[in-house]
Amino acid sequence: MSGLNTGEPVSDEVSAANQAAPVIQLRGLRKSFGDLEVLRGIDLDVVTGQHVVIFGPSGSGKSTMLRSLNMLEQPTAGSLKVDGVEYGPGLPDEPGVRRGKVLDLRRTVGMVFQQFNLFPHLTALDNVALPLRSVRGLKGAAAQLKAAEALRRVGLLQRAAHYPQQLSGGQQQRVAIARALAMDPKVMLFDEPTSALDPELVGEVLKTMREVAETGMTMVVVTHELGFAKEIGDLNVFMEDGLVVESGPRGFFENCVSPRAREFILAVR
Amino acid sequence: MNISNYDWGLIWENHGVLLNGLLVALQVSVIALVISIFGGLLLAVMRLSKPPISWIAVAYINVFRGVPALVSVIWVYFGVALLLGVNFTVFQAGVIALSLLYSAFMAEIFRSALGAIPPGHREAGQALGMRGTRIFFSVVLPQAIKIALPNLGSMFIGMVKDTSTFTVIGLLEVVRVTQNLVSQSFQPFVLYTAAAAIYVLAAFVIDIVFRLIEGAYASPPRGAISRVLRSRKRQRIQQLMAEVGP
Repeated sequence: MSGLNTGEPVSDEVSAANQAAPVIQLRGLRKSFGDLEVLRGIDLDVVTGQHVVIFGPSGSGKSTMLRSLNMLEQPTAGSLKVDGVEYGPGLPDEPGVRRGKVLDLRRTVGMVFQQFNLFPHLTALDNVALPLRSVRGLKGAAAQLKAAEALRRVGLLQRAAHYPQQLSGGQQQRVAIARALAMDPKVMLFDEPTSALDPELVGEVLKTMREVAETGMTMVVVTHELGFAKEIGDLNVFMEDGLVVESGPRGFFENCVSPRAREFILAVR
Repeated sequence: MNISNYDWGLIWENHGVLLNGLLVALQVSVIALVISIFGGLLLAVMRLSKPPISWIAVAYINVFRGVPALVSVIWVYFGVALLLGVNFTVFQAGVIALSLLYSAFMAEIFRSALGAIPPGHREAGQALGMRGTRIFFSVVLPQAIKIALPNLGSMFIGMVKDTSTFTVIGLLEVVRVTQNLVSQSFQPFVLYTAAAAIYVLAAFVIDIVFRLIEGAYASPPRGAISRVLRSRKRQRIQQLMAEVGP
């Protein structure tokens, strides 16, 4: 059932319900750094509730692709539509499309980084509460209450008064997940969220991510944890040299046909 | 002259006058410190901006870092009066001269502190949908101040010492007061030793004060005051935990 059907939403049960309106739609997305073209035309559809896993060798462009989904990298060409609104340079044959502001895009899409990027001068609670105050406009007490709820979701309410340097890497990453979740995003992006962790701390972060996935959150995850990918991936995307080589639904890791994807999966395992 | 000919009692007899000199020096320095922190921050931000603006900052920093305090205060006190007809008091002239010089030094301190903030923190703010100004004031600046604090302490000690050159315009700071006492008693060795001791003592106290401030700014904060403040924060969090439930 899979094949070289690049970018088509193929997750059977989920896409059946939402076929019409993907939350994220990439068409011919390109990104260059100077002479180096890192993304060479990416097509991808992500529908609501779908868990997309992106994997591939280093330098394949998967992080750049993820980072352009919230415009931390500005695409040089192509279309990036979120909720039907165009945020990228757009396509030449689609001039009348509704264009959105970067700030609005980022308020729709949450992101978790490889290096956690917690604010070190703030407690765990204030890390979550700061954007609630300054972006969502909540008052102090309301922001703290919502932040506390988010920390409870990731099982770290007991650590609310701790500063990032007093937390383990796994705990820091879970606070970072809580910080992004508290903003009620429509989509959560994860950029190699376990790559900077000690091996024994990977499990707790994956567990938290699994719990987020179970709530029906739409997720796009760049990861090297293929075991985890296999478990949550409704749509699995293998990238190399700035292109999607092959993508497919559940069972992709057994059924993929392109030699490069098979080779990569074998090598990682 | 034998060491027993020195009248060390002079120091105690005149300790009020000498400490008054220190008070004046500290007043000028504290006001100039506040001004040059803001001036330095502004210059640092300009320095990190795009060319036409950054050039202004570069020019300012390079000129005023090179001017000695003595020349600067003469220029402000006499030069401005001659050129513009504005007559500053000696106190005002001292504050302005110090602020002009130390803004330039502070600018470099803040530039390196701002540069030391990992770009990932800014990106995290962006990804959360925070505006650029908000990221600067809530994420970048508090961390930069923390990094800059030890250097600000050294700068402040330098400022207090530089007020000694303001004796040239007649500001009644430690050296001027000492000179007056010397002209009455002809005991320069005793009195200048006292002046030196006052500066050393002042530097020591300033160092302790800045260490306390550093402690309060540390994450987690250290020191008695922050412990009191933190216990209130803890209580608030306990309360939240009860509200949110397990």
